[in-house]
Amino acid sequence: MRIAVCLKQVPDPATVEVDPLTAALDTRRLLYIASPADTAALEVALQLAGAEGHVSALCVGPPAADAVLRLALAAGATEARRLWTPFLPLQAPAQTALLLAAWLQRGEAPDLVLCGTRSSDQGSGQLPALLAEFLEWPVVCDVTQITLEGDLARVQRRLDRGAREELEVRLPAVLAVEAGIARLRHASLTGLMRAERAAIPVSELDDLGLEPADLAFPAATTRMVTPPRPRTRPIFTPDSTRPAHERITQIITAGVTRKSGKVLEGPPDQMAEVVVEFLRERGFV
Amino acid sequence: MAFLSKEASLALVQRVHRLIGIKNGSTPHGAPQPRRQRSAPRPGAEHFDVIVVGAGPAGSAAALVAARAGLKVLLLERGEYPGSKNVSGAAFYGSAILNELIPNWWEQAPVERYLTRRVLAFMTAETSVAIDFRTTRFAEPPYNGFSILRPKFDRWFADQAVAAGAFLLNAAVVDEVLWEDDQVVGVRVRRDEGDLRADVVIACDGANSFLAKNAGLQREFHAHEMSLGVKEVLELDEGAIRERFHLHDNDGLAIEYIGAITEEVSGGGFLYTNRDSLSLGVIGQISSLAEHRRRPYELLETFKRHPSVAPLVRGGRVREYSAHVIPEAGWNMLPKLYTGGMLVAGDAAALCFVAGLYLEGINYAIQSGMAAGEAAVAAHQERDFSARSLARYVERLRARHVLTDFASYRHAPGLVNSPRLQNLYPELIAAGAEQVFRVNGGPKRKLLPIALDTLRRANISPVHVLQDAWQAGRSFGW
Repeated sequence: MRIAVCLKQVPDPATVEVDPLTAALDTRRLLYIASPADTAALEVALQLAGAEGHVSALCVGPPAADAVLRLALAAGATEARRLWTPFLPLQAPAQTALLLAAWLQRGEAPDLVLCGTRSSDQGSGQLPALLAEFLEWPVVCDVTQITLEGDLARVQRRLDRGAREELEVRLPAVLAVEAGIARLRHASLTGLMRAERAAIPVSELDDLGLEPADLAFPAATTRMVTPPRPRTRPIFTPDSTRPAHERITQIITAGVTRKSGKVLEGPPDQMAEVVVEFLRERGFV
Repeated sequence: MAFLSKEASLALVQRVHRLIGIKNGSTPHGAPQPRRQRSAPRPGAEHFDVIVVGAGPAGSAAALVAARAGLKVLLLERGEYPGSKNVSGAAFYGSAILNELIPNWWEQAPVERYLTRRVLAFMTAETSVAIDFRTTRFAEPPYNGFSILRPKFDRWFADQAVAAGAFLLNAAVVDEVLWEDDQVVGVRVRRDEGDLRADVVIACDGANSFLAKNAGLQREFHAHEMSLGVKEVLELDEGAIRERFHLHDNDGLAIEYIGAITEEVSGGGFLYTNRDSLSLGVIGQISSLAEHRRRPYELLETFKRHPSVAPLVRGGRVREYSAHVIPEAGWNMLPKLYTGGMLVAGDAAALCFVAGLYLEGINYAIQSGMAAGEAAVAAHQERDFSARSLARYVERLRARHVLTDFASYRHAPGLVNSPRLQNLYPELIAAGAEQVFRVNGGPKRKLLPIALDTLRRANISPVHVLQDAWQAGRSFGW
């Protein structure tokens, strides 16, 4: 079983500080980690590959991203490779996918490509689909469970509102897993030392048979990401016409009152008048 | 001063840690266990000439010296990177010492400001009297001291050891020392296949060293021998710092406070200027923190509200908060510094010089690290790693004036932490100064009557004053 895992280096959210006035990130204080969904993918890959399997870890990033690949090597990945070009724009899922696909199409192709569904920093979630498109492979995102049966993968996928979908995918395929479905194993000391000593090979555009012009994707550019607007929450204010003790009761019960009803008795036309009066009072008619 | 049994003092340390809600800063393994069965390394463990545990100033200095001599050195760090776990007010006075190891080190190291101004302030709740020392002679290479930020500095220093050929391994917590006959032959790291062999293990794992205790070189500490420092880094505009502290371009100051800032708790405060931030904190003796049921962060808040501190820190944004234990008893808590196959250096050897006038640790850490590295190199030349061979470490510490400093100032910690020096004398100084400077239409008295009057009002017996004067003389004078 040959599995490739794509990893991304992201800022550790614990070190992200935003200036409240300018909304600028304080980049001097940032520390970097592997994106949590990607480390879950790595652990799943190591489990699926087993002892005799072959797991290669890939990362598109600058030299500092070697740390992520060393993490993978320490945990037990067979090999690691960093892909990089200075021509990469800042946020570039399409270009990243292109580099990864170019590498994966050279030499012996893996049976399975695993990655995180979305990175914890920019989180566009586009990479798995774009990668599958370049490879012309099937893709499943939001994966929570994978079992392999020959060249068939049984996959469980998370849908909205807690629903789950079970699918079968024929390999080779790209499977993008959710963060938190597996916790990366604690590396052994031997693994850690091996990873620290390993030289991480790098492939640039030339090695991948690409030109800088291939990286131009004018079709879609993300200009801005706005966080969802918080829902307006009505603030409870007690009815000021009520006496003080009732207002206090209203406040401490947070305005929750029991449902109450009123049973009318009498001749129909009188009851109809009361109902109309009730509705008029409350502005329904 | 409460005297506590071993168990009680340890429980106190842990309780104080819990009280202020920090992770146990100095004992990564919880309570040190009573001496356990000695384990031997498993077969197949990788061998190094020297393993240095802890990539702080002592560890990096030791690794650098040993690696330069061509030894195969492993530097183990429990944090994600060297410096990630380290706390210090971070005034570093060992510039000349480090210059010996790395010439003109300040040109490449991440330093904040060179310290040209030292202030020693005596405080009461409303008053402060300060000795303000300033010289341009400390603004010339090799400088006297620098303010530094430990995460950056320690990382840089460890990188120097790596550049010299040491192998740095982060995220490696050492669980125990490994033995063969009465000789330390390696360490066990808390990971699978975690055994490592070494001819010499140098323990630089910080205050309350787990390794020194595990190897039976250090006793348990008493709560009155340890202090807890809490520190904040406040971000402040560079221009504001220059104006507030009357600084030129890149010079800085260090202020040490004695007196009411720690209220009834024995301790002190400090404030250092960094490039665009301030490091400030309070240090409280653990036994007296527990005795008075004070939480260190409350003291820090009181300190920041003091009328002479508040205007200095106004508008600063808290960027970091950290806490650490400090071995304070000096000479009296030095461990056995070596055994067969193992040396102890830095804070792990309690080489922290806390004596009122002085608050130094990093310089002694580097010096002891260098001495340990040299001793390891010399031992390798003779291929003799017995306790007798490693005893030369102590000679080198003496030659570097480390042990002699601690020996000659051995009375200072007790004096500095005494209640009279902590609170009464600062109050007397403040009250005396107030009488000298106050103009209220009364007769202008001369200094001696004012001094005698102040002493009389303080209701302190002349015998105590003489005793303290003798103690002070013995500690600092001769």
